[in-house]
Amino acid sequence: MKKKQVSHLPPIKKLNLTRRHFIEATSALVGAGILSSYGLPIYAASNVDEMMKMYNNANIDWQSQKGSSIVLSGLEHPWMSSIEPLLPHFKTLTGIDVQVQKQSESEYVAEVPIKLGAGSPSPDVYMVWSYGQAANAGWLESLDQHFDNSDLFDKNWYDLGDIFSSAKSFPVWNDGQSYVMSITAEAQTMFANQNMLDAIGAAVPTTFDELLSTGKKLKTGDVSGVAMRSKADGSAGTWPCGGFVFSNGGVIIQDGKCMLDSAEAIQAVHYYGTILNEAGPLGVGNYHWYECLNDYMQEVCAIGLDSSNFATDIENPEKSNAAGHTTYGAMVSGPGQQAKPNMWHWMAGINSKSEQKAAAFLFLTWANSKPTCLMSSALGLATTRTSAWESDGFKSAFGSQAATAALTNLQNADGKIMKDCWFHPQSGEILTPFGIAINEVVTGTKSAENAMKEATAKINKAIGA
Amino acid sequence: MNQFIKQKNRFILLMLMPATILLVGLTLFPFIVSFILSFTDYSLLRPGQTKFIFLENYIELMKTDDFWIALRVTVVFTIFAVFIQVVLGVIFANLLHHETRNISFLRTIYLLPLAITPIAATFTFRLMFNPSLGVLNYFMKVLGLPPQAWLASPSTALISLIVVDTWQWTPFILLICLGGLASLPNEPFEAAKVDGANSWQVFSKITVPMLYPFIGLALLFRSIDAFKTFDIIYVLTSGGPGVLTRTLNLYAFKHGIEFLSMGYAGSIAIVMLIITIVVAQIFLRKNKLLQPKDTFK
Repeated sequence: MKKKQVSHLPPIKKLNLTRRHFIEATSALVGAGILSSYGLPIYAASNVDEMMKMYNNANIDWQSQKGSSIVLSGLEHPWMSSIEPLLPHFKTLTGIDVQVQKQSESEYVAEVPIKLGAGSPSPDVYMVWSYGQAANAGWLESLDQHFDNSDLFDKNWYDLGDIFSSAKSFPVWNDGQSYVMSITAEAQTMFANQNMLDAIGAAVPTTFDELLSTGKKLKTGDVSGVAMRSKADGSAGTWPCGGFVFSNGGVIIQDGKCMLDSAEAIQAVHYYGTILNEAGPLGVGNYHWYECLNDYMQEVCAIGLDSSNFATDIENPEKSNAAGHTTYGAMVSGPGQQAKPNMWHWMAGINSKSEQKAAAFLFLTWANSKPTCLMSSALGLATTRTSAWESDGFKSAFGSQAATAALTNLQNADGKIMKDCWFHPQSGEILTPFGIAINEVVTGTKSAENAMKEATAKINKAIGA
Repeated sequence: MNQFIKQKNRFILLMLMPATILLVGLTLFPFIVSFILSFTDYSLLRPGQTKFIFLENYIELMKTDDFWIALRVTVVFTIFAVFIQVVLGVIFANLLHHETRNISFLRTIYLLPLAITPIAATFTFRLMFNPSLGVLNYFMKVLGLPPQAWLASPSTALISLIVVDTWQWTPFILLICLGGLASLPNEPFEAAKVDGANSWQVFSKITVPMLYPFIGLALLFRSIDAFKTFDIIYVLTSGGPGVLTRTLNLYAFKHGIEFLSMGYAGSIAIVMLIITIVVAQIFLRKNKLLQPKDTFK
């Protein structure tokens, strides 16, 4: 089926990425992909020399930590899935062995804090689930001293200018130091089934009201109009509904105080609940991202508003019935407001108790370098580098229009208001009552006003505001 | 002679040592640590700043609505789940006790849920309960009934959890009762037959009373376990809708693992332990389950 590309977004700036550069970076990956699917070593010997050239252009002593071994801990996530096949190449380049520990998200966020809190030197490198918690508890090594080490880091080769500004500002903690590197970029993005929109003659919604009316028109006995997360959990509805609050002029945390009882926030949550009540699927109160994505891919839901990373799965015809006829759009906004989608950069950092900090830093530098990002993006990973987003490999794996929409939403996002909440040292105690309140509104247990006022009181008590 | 007794005592001590060390290491030590932590404000977010706050965690807990809501949910879940499981377990055990040709195959089938990894079974139920793609709503539609939001609706979420728990744990009651039935003497049943008692009379007047010590123990074990249920609720509802299925164990998990407030979570765990011990002791003493009974009366 031919892909229908419907763009509702302004074009983004083209980067000067040469064909040769792209071919150099991805030819090895194509071969590797084919070989790895048969369980063979990732890189054919002929490609290793080509790959080495790109890394050897750096003024970094890649072999300085040869023979050491580090533990990389992460969750089931596209970043881990795309980095893992490239690890043999890292070993060839540096002589460092990387042991991978991968868990589901819920297992990961339950186990790693306990391990780190007990002072374990392992893992050496880990995906940071809550920057506020990890930085505040002293579980992260400051990366600044390593950035200044000329043996480990080449600023010119690394090309900071290629990294999204939000991805550069995310790691800077309130003491001015950077404890992590941003490794992925995602923004709240709308995905709509174009065939279903065409069937009712509707356009892609741009406001809360349009989303509600279009969703209601799309809803039938078998298909829901709009599906968004609203499970009673701090990690479910909070992220997409947070985007609703921001796009209605509200904030979650301001000057260390919870502001969810503001008129803007209450109205946004009311919209969120009404849309899901009137246009959402039955039982949406128990939906996490998995159910939203699954419903959309099985074409039992017409519109979703979640992470831009979903595009990789949506456009995979082996998994998704909606592949090839999905339109990706900008975040919707409240009456008279500017859309401010929620966004996220997954981050990785070094355990402050690690005994292999230099090797761990070399790994992070390599994983976030331009050539590695080009390769991982060809597998559909949304990295933090503009060059990777502009590459043909990424556009092919992710979908060109999806990439454009995600980039536009990333540009429209306000990282500061997002960080004020999600980077708070007590983010768990903020997000859990917020998530439960969203669920109460969606399931009709409470009105938005009551739910938000009660949640705000609980949150302010917990964070001492 | 003294030498022999000393050697014997030393041997007994040596044999008990591994089990004692394991018990102290795996049970007593964590309990003591939790108990001590519950009197502190220990949080993984503030390493090195832990203060002894005496009963503050317990006082805060008693003042928090969330605790009482969680306690109510836990008690309701435990009572209903265990009651249904005991009733079904005793009935099925009675039906499966009679020796017929395919009975051993049937017993195996009924005991299967016990052998299945709980988390795998729970994820299967999650798919089955899915309102748009799940098999339960498919059958509802086939029967001409309206589909249900099994896990998301305030009226069905707790019932759905009880159903899953019942599916998983009724075989446990069944197993204990089957063992009990096998150990019962035949004479009372034969006498009842001679006296012309019907099946219901035999079941209600002879089987159940004779089986009571077994039912009592099964009920006690299951109640303690149901009071601590975590995996089913965590995977299926995460405590929702709202906090309508958030039990004490889930509440402790939130504070300990998600908020990293180990002191406060410790106090919830200790309160749970106290409730369990008190209820179990009352039950045991009232029913004299641990006292030897000479004859069937």
